[in-house]
Amino acid sequence: MSPALLELRRLAKSFGGARALRGVDFELRAGEVHALLGENGAGKSTLIKIVTGAHQPDSGTIAVAGTPVADLTPASARALGIACIYQQPALFPDLSVAENIALRLESGAGARRVDWRARRERAFTLLNRIGAAISPEAEVRSLSMPEQQLVEIACALGAGARIVIMDEPTASLTQKEQHLLFAVVRDLRTQGVGVIYISHRLEEILALADRVTVLRDGESVGTHPIAEIDEAKLIKLMVGREVAQIYPPSEATPGAVALALRGLGCRASGVHSVSFEVRAGEIFGLAGLVGAGRTELARILFGLTPADAGTIELGGRPIAPQSPQEAVAQGIAYVPEDRRRHGVVLDLPLAPNMTMAIHRRIFPGTWLRPRAERDLALGYIRDLAVKCTGPEALGGSLSGGNQQKVSLARWLATQPRLLILDEPTQGVDVGAKSEIHRIIRRLAKEGLAVLLISSDLPEVLGMSDRIGVMRGGTLAGTLPGGADAPTVMALALGQAA
Amino acid sequence: MKRHFRELSVAGALLAVLAAMAVFAPAFYQPQPLLSLATREAPTLIVACGMAFVIIARQIDISVGSQFSVCGVCAGLLAARGWPLAAVLPASVAIGALLGALNGFLVAGLGLPSIVVTLATMVTLRQGLNLVRQGEFVNLPDGVQWFGLSQTTGQWLLVGFALLVLVVLALALRHLAAGRFVYAIGSDAEAARLAGIRPQRGTFFIFVFMGALVGLAAMLNLVQSPQVQPLTGNGLELKVIAAVVVGGVAISGGRGNLWGAFAGLLLLACVAPALIHLRIEAYWEKAIQGAIILLAVVADGWRSRKAKG
Amino acid sequence: MAEIPKPKSSSASVWKDRLLSHEMILLYVLIALWVFFYFAGTTVNRRGVVVGFGTLDRQFDILRHSCEIGLLALALTPVIITGGIDLSVGSLLGLSAILFGSFWHDAGLPIPVAIALTLGVGAVAGGLNGALITQLKLPPLIVTLGTYSLFRGLAEAITRGSVTYTDFPAGFLFLGQERLLGLPAQAWLFFAVAAAIWLLVHRTTFGRSFRAIGFAPEGARYAGLPVDRRVASAYVIAGVIAALAAIIYTARLGQAKADAGTGYELFAITAVVLGGTSIFGGTGSIYGTLIGVAAIAVLKNGLACLPAVMRMNAAEEISGLLTGALLLLALTAGVLPRHWAQWRARHPARAG
Repeated sequence: MSPALLELRRLAKSFGGARALRGVDFELRAGEVHALLGENGAGKSTLIKIVTGAHQPDSGTIAVAGTPVADLTPASARALGIACIYQQPALFPDLSVAENIALRLESGAGARRVDWRARRERAFTLLNRIGAAISPEAEVRSLSMPEQQLVEIACALGAGARIVIMDEPTASLTQKEQHLLFAVVRDLRTQGVGVIYISHRLEEILALADRVTVLRDGESVGTHPIAEIDEAKLIKLMVGREVAQIYPPSEATPGAVALALRGLGCRASGVHSVSFEVRAGEIFGLAGLVGAGRTELARILFGLTPADAGTIELGGRPIAPQSPQEAVAQGIAYVPEDRRRHGVVLDLPLAPNMTMAIHRRIFPGTWLRPRAERDLALGYIRDLAVKCTGPEALGGSLSGGNQQKVSLARWLATQPRLLILDEPTQGVDVGAKSEIHRIIRRLAKEGLAVLLISSDLPEVLGMSDRIGVMRGGTLAGTLPGGADAPTVMALALGQAA
Repeated sequence: MKRHFRELSVAGALLAVLAAMAVFAPAFYQPQPLLSLATREAPTLIVACGMAFVIIARQIDISVGSQFSVCGVCAGLLAARGWPLAAVLPASVAIGALLGALNGFLVAGLGLPSIVVTLATMVTLRQGLNLVRQGEFVNLPDGVQWFGLSQTTGQWLLVGFALLVLVVLALALRHLAAGRFVYAIGSDAEAARLAGIRPQRGTFFIFVFMGALVGLAAMLNLVQSPQVQPLTGNGLELKVIAAVVVGGVAISGGRGNLWGAFAGLLLLACVAPALIHLRIEAYWEKAIQGAIILLAVVADGWRSRKAKG
Repeated sequence: MAEIPKPKSSSASVWKDRLLSHEMILLYVLIALWVFFYFAGTTVNRRGVVVGFGTLDRQFDILRHSCEIGLLALALTPVIITGGIDLSVGSLLGLSAILFGSFWHDAGLPIPVAIALTLGVGAVAGGLNGALITQLKLPPLIVTLGTYSLFRGLAEAITRGSVTYTDFPAGFLFLGQERLLGLPAQAWLFFAVAAAIWLLVHRTTFGRSFRAIGFAPEGARYAGLPVDRRVASAYVIAGVIAALAAIIYTARLGQAKADAGTGYELFAITAVVLGGTSIFGGTGSIYGTLIGVAAIAVLKNGLACLPAVMRMNAAEEISGLLTGALLLLALTAGVLPRHWAQWRARHPARAG
């Protein structure tokens, strides 16, 4: 048995009154990929922040390679060979790739000369090692999200990290980049590096990890070798109960054509010649890899990046939304992917959040009507089972799943004809996820046309009445609801099915 | 080339103005008035360097004008008491650093927005100085003006010294790790923290450094006349912020350099004498400076809009 | 199962929150200041006449002198709530005053027409700020810094630094120097604008949009709010109010000159921030701004009535000093609880 590279004993941490960690034990061996799993709020991010020195634990011990360490700081954690690749790359957008890597790797001393040539050469070597075709001279702000993530990995590699933490690294990667990443992870493992791998995607964990530790409510509910566990067991561990049926059955009876796209395109966002129809009461799933143009298509429909080719018909009438206001007026609702930045205003109470898109209707003549607003909010809080203290609660006080329900409520209040859902359950815990699925089903049953964008393949397969698969900015094909995962993936990857 | 487009375009505008002057008003190139102009702008240049540091670190300091006045008056009083210049200079720098430390503590230590903090310290310092001095001038002893040298020698000395400070700081900002930390903090403070740079400490020291440079600049101003006016610093903050922004330092932090700020300062400084030589009424100076600032930011806006497609 | 929403806490703690809000604490300070100056700043002169802070005339005077900065503070509140800033209002006051004088004196227009034109100029100038900020996505701080120079520069260029417009008709000067129904005439105008802006910010979808934009500009856009139009409207409103302030200023002094309103923007921003409006956007109230304006005015005028200050002849300086200090104090008081909590979290043993 290899020695423990990182050993956490009885780690506890509270924020204000909330106990984020209640005495967690965790062990990482050299040369293993150890997955860390848990619903949102289970304590994963707190654990990571303690290991990387961003937070100090209230009690408990940390030992790196058998040596106890106290008072970890980001700098001392780095010196111990602990590196973290965050979901949102923590890079400097205004600086070059080479400098970004250098700032992570060089010592924190201010009074030394910068060797620009060495910086460039090191960046070039490191990027080559992970097969990334990125110029060291490029400004980071000009890179795509996956490219930025690769820069992060290059940083970790360059630091000679013994302990690499990956926090949802595949959330924004394309399939090809994912495979590249997995190869890099396996390569790290053979070099004796310990990898802590956090992901919501169970199939990824089963494919990549050696062991998995599940956190629930700030406690560890067990560490298991991957060979002894399967998806159903993991879900059971995470939620503490068996989830009998993950996806509610379809009860829809599709009606008239609600949305018809013909040859739709937009040069700026790389979408071209998209044609399909969605009927009232139908859930049309949009599958595809990240970067295939699904969110871009939604942004065209919602007027954020107006189309420059083709036509959109909504309820039989041609429309050409040039701004979100116009799209909303036409009856299009868009629940965006980035909930915290675009979905819910965290500093505003729930009631104004829910009425934000219907100012004209609920406040005729621009005068606010607090009672009508409160009643409407109470209605949706009850209807969608939003867990909160009331319509006055701030958006930021809710959990991710409940924030998503608030975002949904805002758009249902517009009484739309077409509801676009972009990754509606990303970063949402399992319980809230199935609630959101039930809501989507109910809405379709009530006659709403739903366009469901999701990178969670089982979700698209389980929820959709029909599935459109996008690839390279256009629709690669349409499949019936019962399609299986390999068929969808084959279309998405461009292989003959 | 593309990276330095912004600095080069300001330099180009400056050259165009200089060329226009050569054609239409060659009198502009008389050495003595030109040297006097450069000497007058030397303290501004040093403050502008500090301001570039502050803005690159995504902060702003509008109290520099008041700091400048306070440092000047204090240094003047010390000199009037017979302190040698060699002792007055560090004292002035120390007073500036102390005032900067106050801003730094409020901004970095308490996490308050720098624009409001420095607005408050600006008013407080200015009114405090007015209260204590009641607008009184400080008469300096003989031997302080131009260090007791001839005017021309003194002017050359001042201009040379200011340029030296510029070159040293510009090189430090580019080639010293600490200089790169300024960019890192301004580009993304959270990422800087994760990279082991302490943004709060860095921000604090940048404000201290700004104050120290103001103290130095106040000395450069002090030796130019036989008296210290208590109001010399009024409006200095806007002048240097304008110069720095025209020179391509992004107000959103993380971008720009001192060469651009230098070019921006020269461009704005040329407006007044250019107006005189081109026989345009001097009352237009402020309006033209405002127009240049707007033009610079509008150009930035167009460029980033185009870049987005 | 949804929890049935209930009032979130007992009415006692709601009242405690309200009574200890930023605005209320500032109001207590204001009342304390007023009471202090009432007793310390009122004297009886040799002829047995009561003079100083406590006289009704003096109170009206304070009101009269607060109107222009008060208007600018009202103009700035919506702008700051959207997360922006407008440094150009003081310069715009100067430019508007000059143009008003020029419309009346040089172009020979009747006063009402000149006033209408001047308000139009304010709208256009505010529109310039708004267009640059929303259409070119430029930072408000730097745009309005540019127009701060531009507007003042234009005022100086138009007057060649020396022309002053005077000899306005008595009917116009009434607005700035006489009383109407017991109060200074311009106070009515000020209260009307305050009421209008209060309604706008607290009772309409405009105010709601300002807040949403201040908290999350992208989020507001994704919610289908007309973000650009709303933000631009805040700057246009600020421009119009600054022009109105210029007219009142001209009427009060009986002259229009290029340096009118120099430095007023700083006092206006101070009043707004003192009143609890967050410089980061989103949070803010008109009553807070009004209390902030009143606090600055009482401080300044009250000090001028204190015998000690009168002997020093330094009321302006001391009030400026105290205003700056008050602003720092208000800012610090706003963040100290957070720092204290953090410190306690780090040192649980020592904090007990």
